[in-house]
Amino acid sequence: MTREEVFETLNGVFQDVFDDESITVNEATTAEDIDDWDSLEHINLIAAVEQEFGMKFSMGQVVTMKNVGEMADIIISQIKE
Amino acid sequence: MPANFTSFYFLCFYACILIIYYLIPQKTQWVFLLMASAAFYLLTGNGWLILYPAVASLTAYISMRVMTGTEDKKKRSLALLLSAALLIGALIVLKYINFGINTVNAVASLWHPSGDLLKGFHFLVPLGISFYTFSILGYVVDVYNGIAAPQKNFFKMAAYGMYFPSILSGPILKYREDGEQFFVPHPFDYRQVTFGLQRMVWGFFKTLVISERMNLVVNTVYDNYMQYPGIYIWIATVCYAFQLYTNFSGSMDIVLGMSQTFGIRLPENFETPFFSKNISEYWRRWHITLGVWMKEYVFYPLLRTEAFGSLGKKLRKRFGKKRGKQLTTFLAMFLLWFTVGIWHGGEWKFVIGSGLLHWFYIVSGELLAPLYGKMMEKLHINPKSRWVDGFRILRTFFLANIGFVFFRAPSAPDAFRMLKEGISIWNLGVLFDGSLLALGLDAIEAVIAIVSLLILLTVSILQQKGSVRERIEKKKLPVRFLIWYALLFYTILLGHYGPDYSAAEFIYQGF
Repeated sequence: MTREEVFETLNGVFQDVFDDESITVNEATTAEDIDDWDSLEHINLIAAVEQEFGMKFSMGQVVTMKNVGEMADIIISQIKE
Repeated sequence: MPANFTSFYFLCFYACILIIYYLIPQKTQWVFLLMASAAFYLLTGNGWLILYPAVASLTAYISMRVMTGTEDKKKRSLALLLSAALLIGALIVLKYINFGINTVNAVASLWHPSGDLLKGFHFLVPLGISFYTFSILGYVVDVYNGIAAPQKNFFKMAAYGMYFPSILSGPILKYREDGEQFFVPHPFDYRQVTFGLQRMVWGFFKTLVISERMNLVVNTVYDNYMQYPGIYIWIATVCYAFQLYTNFSGSMDIVLGMSQTFGIRLPENFETPFFSKNISEYWRRWHITLGVWMKEYVFYPLLRTEAFGSLGKKLRKRFGKKRGKQLTTFLAMFLLWFTVGIWHGGEWKFVIGSGLLHWFYIVSGELLAPLYGKMMEKLHINPKSRWVDGFRILRTFFLANIGFVFFRAPSAPDAFRMLKEGISIWNLGVLFDGSLLALGLDAIEAVIAIVSLLILLTVSILQQKGSVRERIEKKKLPVRFLIWYALLFYTILLGHYGPDYSAAEFIYQGF
């Protein structure tokens, strides 16, 4: 899966979780950029991403991930393994 | 020496520490801070109690050594579990065992009204146990999760775990963000030291001038609430909101300012919480480090357990995607808020007032949000208008105040009685007949309290646009001097001091 494909899939997941079809994410997107992305939705988002890509974030990654770019890094490194 | 940062003896102690800190070789500064923390513990009470934070630091140190020495997942988990059990175990035994016993006795008394079924225990509880336990436990969990570097030096671990400025009332530290700075050399930096001292003065102003005055009114009404019904209760509760806020945030200004004079930056605990527009926002701005700790170490791990995962799936199947997701979150939040409540103390008034009541607010807010939206639309109200924002701020403040009634009342049943007295009696006349001046503050004292609250309000509004200290720094020298010396003398002259030059304890110190 290329990085572009990962982002394309992530767009779908974000739109689904936040119920907003206008959302598109990029490397620098953070919780600040999406209105409903609070600590409650963060976990729902993480679970949805895990299900979509068939991978698992560690607890450390869940709390330290700073933007969608870092999320994509983790996804790519995990699906390569 | 009293365990109180506003006492005269403590300030002498601190002044000595600060001077020596910058005279000794910079490499040894952290060792000196460890010694100062030990001295603080030994001078402020029963010296044996120092063993608690020392053993907690040792526990963390050993478990980190085990975790880093092995790749074996089972051994790592075991090290984490054992250290967590020991740290939390000490906290439960020292702080909560009587809560369990009292609850059992209360239930048993329904059948056997005479005598208690179980006897309570009396322990000497070490200073700041809830704060250092959380700081240390969070660090151990982070090392387990591979996001914090383990401390290889036990004495450094102890210097961090027992750091005296934050031991009394927080903030709860996060090693992965603020740990390493403890051990780097700190050359004397005039700007940082003066900034720190200025912040301390601001903290003294909040605690000694405002909080102590509010305290007089609050005590009068809360200690005899049957004599002070109706509007008295609401006035005393609003006073308590300001008392608690100025006391706790003022103590944080002192702690963070003091740390800044050592060149150490601690995390902020408050961000003008009474300007929040809803309860969730309020908790992101009030006792911030506790909220973040709870989120990272209770709420997230709970939601990511298999049990919650499968429960979520079942609920989504049964109630649909959106409702199912909501229900799972509400359930996890219930456990979270129960924990937040009980962290404040092993009594139902805390479990309700700082916990479950706020859970109820947040859940009803979420459930009623669509209805509010529709109502606003029908009434042609712009939800982004200033008036609506103002209304939301007042509403959030009012809701928080109901929680404060529980927090301050002698017990949960008293709080319910007070709320009933507050609603059922309409004695608005006392606002105009001078009765309010008999609550502990005479006319002059009341004017000082109101002027001080207005200063606080003005500074809080200015803080919305960035650091006030930095803005003052840019003013000309005479203006700067005038501002800081005026604040200092205002605090010295108008601060309320109890016997032995020390104000009442920090309210959060008991937690």
